[in-house]
Amino acid sequence: MKQILLITDGCSNVGVSPVLAAAHALKEGITVNVVGVIDYGTIGELGSIEIAEIAKAGGGISRVVGTPQLAQTMQMMTRKTVVQTIQHAVHKELTHILGDGSLEDLPPHQRAQVVEVVDELSETSPLQVALLIDASASMKPKLRSVEDAARDLMLSLQARQGTSQLAVFHYPGRHSGEEAVLDLDWTEDISRIHSLFGRIQMKGATPTGPAIFKVIDFYQYGTLNNNQAWNEEMMKREGILGDYVV
Amino acid sequence: MTTSFKTTFSPGTIIVGKWRRSRYYIHRMLGQGANGMVYLVQKVGTRQLYALKMGYETVDLQSEINVLHSLQGQKHYKTSRKQGHDQHASSFLVEVDDFTSDNKEIPFYVMRYVKGVPIHAFLEKKEREWLGFVGLSLLEKLQQLHDGGWVFGDLKPDNVLVSEYGHVELIDYGGVSSIGRSIKQFTERYDRGYWNAGSRTADEGYDLFSFALLCLNLLYDEGFKKVTNQQLPQARSTQDLLGLLGHPNVHPYAKWLRKAILHEFADTTEAITSWKRDVYPAAVKLKSKQTHVTPRWLKSAFAFSIIMLCCAIYFVVRF
Repeated sequence: MKQILLITDGCSNVGVSPVLAAAHALKEGITVNVVGVIDYGTIGELGSIEIAEIAKAGGGISRVVGTPQLAQTMQMMTRKTVVQTIQHAVHKELTHILGDGSLEDLPPHQRAQVVEVVDELSETSPLQVALLIDASASMKPKLRSVEDAARDLMLSLQARQGTSQLAVFHYPGRHSGEEAVLDLDWTEDISRIHSLFGRIQMKGATPTGPAIFKVIDFYQYGTLNNNQAWNEEMMKREGILGDYVV
Repeated sequence: MTTSFKTTFSPGTIIVGKWRRSRYYIHRMLGQGANGMVYLVQKVGTRQLYALKMGYETVDLQSEINVLHSLQGQKHYKTSRKQGHDQHASSFLVEVDDFTSDNKEIPFYVMRYVKGVPIHAFLEKKEREWLGFVGLSLLEKLQQLHDGGWVFGDLKPDNVLVSEYGHVELIDYGGVSSIGRSIKQFTERYDRGYWNAGSRTADEGYDLFSFALLCLNLLYDEGFKKVTNQQLPQARSTQDLLGLLGHPNVHPYAKWLRKAILHEFADTTEAITSWKRDVYPAAVKLKSKQTHVTPRWLKSAFAFSIIMLCCAIYFVVRF
């Protein structure tokens, strides 16, 4: 399972539409969740519409919260999205078997069995979450909370039985060709999440769309050595999923 | 595909099950959990009251029902070991069904209605030494879960109902996880991870930690609020919590709470033994000590009467 969790506080204003980018991500099997984080004032009508649209296009969830709720919101969204992704996969399998795979149409005792499988797989399937953090000027006072929330998310991921990895990006980069910057490569180690954003120079531009594309690229052509092993594990898992439901 | 709703139903609404055709009359809303809303209902044609929980999401509610099912199976053999009020616990889950409202399928389940108030409301009315008693019952409830391989997870005052005479029931099983898995739901201020005091993997110690923080909250509210609100996340630690243990309100519990916070109990059974030995007598003695203390006026009166007696004897002997 692959997720992008976008954390922003306003509208994108440069480059390709972030809604299109999110739709593309979903097509590539990556779910996109969005948190709009605001402490004072509002995110604006345009901002909140965009946030909702990105999440819808990306098959994920969107929420607008203040920094005190950030950690718990990110944790909850990731968990819910995992369950949804698994549920989708199980549904697909069920359509082959039952013709009509809607969970609500199943009588309660059969539903119980399906949900048991969903729960099991949600806990054990490998998961990768890429945090994509808007580091435009207005986000600066919130970056401390974002980092704390990232550490808290890692703590929840570590508790899962399946392998879970986190990577962190921020955008925009230092020059125009750099849409997003990798702050932390895939890791399972919580101690690596500290002073992530120390050297960031805040800029006004918010190229959310191009940044999402960049993360999709990273998912596909990441130069990690263990990426191969990871993909193999994912394939194996998907095989297991099929067996499970049949 | 996913049922997601947050409509409330007004008193007088009748809920008709899609599969089993049972009819329930809604009296009022009892509360809300992370997975759904709970109503006080009456089965139509009977005088029997139940609690009925409607889910926001089919999967989440079904997952909770699955846990209740396994618990129910497990409680049967439990009751043979423990008699008394646990006996009717086996009828916890009454019925599972769906109903249609505004073209939406809403899943629900019906459970036994537990009368009582949340633990903080209970202790506000009673005196503090009741925590010694109620705490023990709560620990025993947790032990039952742990023995079955489950961890409650989201332990907080709202999820602990206490009846008039201190009988304890856990409500909202939406956060229950199997031991070894990740904690499904939690409330930050009672969460071990939030305090940088350990993982979010479900084990007995996780519940004991939350239980200890719940006690701290009940015994010394201002202190607990202060450490919860002031700390920066990266600076939060068990030291802040241990610092509260010196307060006089906490005194009889301090040693036990310290062990629970520092994860020093091997399991819940050991924690209960320690509670019975160290906390329970001390917490309840607080009161009895006061009543046994001889008032000063009585002491002086006694001394005075001795002097009078001596004088009387002296005068009798002398004359």
